[in-house]
Amino acid sequence: MTAPIIQIQDLGLAFDGFTALDGVSLDVMAGQCIVVCGPSGSGKSTLLRCVNGLERFQRGDVVVDGTSVRDCRDLPRLRRGIGMVFQHFELYPHMTVLENVTLAPIKAKGLSKAEAERVALHYLDQVGIADQAGKHPGRLSGGQQQRAAIARALALEPKVMLFDEPTSALDPEMISEVLRVMLDLARSGMTMLVVTHEMGFAREVADRIVFMDRGSIVETAGTAQFFSASQTERAREFLHKVLAKI
Amino acid sequence: MNYQFNWAMLITEPYFGWIADGVLTTLHLALIAWCIAFVLGVAVGSCRVSGSAVLRLFGGAYVELFRNIPLLVQLFLWLYVAPQLLPADTRLWWNRLDSVPYWTAVIGISFYTSSRIAEQIRAAMNAIPQGQFRAALSTGLTPVQMYRHVILPYAIRIMLPAITSEFLTVFKNTALALTIGVLEITATTRKIEAWSFKGIEAYTVASLTYLATTVAVIGVMTWLERRLYIPGLIRRGG
Ligand SMILES: Nc1ncnc2c1ncn2[C@@H]1O[C@H](COP(=O)(O)OP(=O)(O)OP(=O)(O)O)[C@@H](O)[C@H]1O
Ligand SMILES: [Mg+2]
Repeated sequence: MTAPIIQIQDLGLAFDGFTALDGVSLDVMAGQCIVVCGPSGSGKSTLLRCVNGLERFQRGDVVVDGTSVRDCRDLPRLRRGIGMVFQHFELYPHMTVLENVTLAPIKAKGLSKAEAERVALHYLDQVGIADQAGKHPGRLSGGQQQRAAIARALALEPKVMLFDEPTSALDPEMISEVLRVMLDLARSGMTMLVVTHEMGFAREVADRIVFMDRGSIVETAGTAQFFSASQTERAREFLHKVLAKI
Repeated sequence: MNYQFNWAMLITEPYFGWIADGVLTTLHLALIAWCIAFVLGVAVGSCRVSGSAVLRLFGGAYVELFRNIPLLVQLFLWLYVAPQLLPADTRLWWNRLDSVPYWTAVIGISFYTSSRIAEQIRAAMNAIPQGQFRAALSTGLTPVQMYRHVILPYAIRIMLPAITSEFLTVFKNTALALTIGVLEITATTRKIEAWSFKGIEAYTVASLTYLATTVAVIGVMTWLERRLYIPGLIRRGG
């Protein structure tokens, strides 16, 4: 049996006295898609940011593909292997889509411009917006921007992808085009840790669903079990609220 | 009124040569000082927002020092006090230079202006959403690469209008250089007045110089703003 590609071990983090994460442990095997859900402020974004070392934690550790984030001496190198997608896309507004996608492959990975553009166009094509490569992000629809952001992360050919509410800033008609890309990615075997309240997506591809509240994992269950028979009252309540909204 | 206007004298020698020299001195003094100020300002402004407490302290002290002492006083300090701090042979070399007042003015105006540009840079960087920093780092860029390729280009576009007004201020501030003996356009005007008693004509030339340059600078910056315009950039809150 191989080791999990992400091991989150008893993670604890406080922002000046306020406990945002309180002993979170979670293993993700290569090729798995784990969905994380929970109410606002429960620490989901903070948890994802600990995985690629964007947040300093005080307790526990995260081990990604054998590298301890706590002891990591070369964070840029670690982060290159971990793609991240944000709620507000965070494309660089002053660059074209192609420049957005090629920046890190050129500067961080050392690819030539031609090689980086070839890789970028491959992934832009995969997310269905190769024809938008020359435009600035501000000229794209929200759904196209988020797909460009996914291509930017994929262009580094990461082993793991982190998604932080990738569709919650989108208009309803654009949500499905982004979810479609994510579904394909999950089915192609990408390891994914996804914070989302899109329960339809979770039902389709999630191997497990993790429910967080107040900085802790309250419940973790196989997808079918989570929907049919949540163990905890809080998870059931949350599920009702989320499903009622759709 | 029995003042006799004599506009023709402005194109006769020696006045014409003096005026041309004065205008050029004002222009290159402003341009050189502004370029140095911009580079220093970007560096100090970056210190102000860096993760290192030492750099932040240095940046803060720099800005407070150069922003709060009046430029006129700074010019005198650079001219009379700063050279005393140099090693003896360096001081000798400096004092033998042809254009000590000119370079003193360049230094004084550059440092003063850089503190103001540093503040503009800091404000612009603080206006950039946290997510941009996180996105850049998440792709494996080092902090230096992140500032160089993402944050600074973004910040400079945000602060372009402020940079324009800063340049116009530098340009007007060059008039203070006359107090330490630089023959820029305003000093030249006074020289012409003393020489010919034709002050109105000379001051008109100085005013027109400032006006024409202001218009030209605004024109160039408007063009630049249009070129660097970020299509569809909507600033969102938070
Ligand atoms: N930099 C910070 N400084 C102080 N407190 C913070 C900081 N970042 C997050 N927090 C707090 O930590 C808690 C967890 O935040 P986090 O963003 O991880 O929640 P979340 O589950 O992602 O919520 P949401 O669904 O609203 O995105 C919140 O109460 C938040 O206010
Ligand atoms: Mg969040």
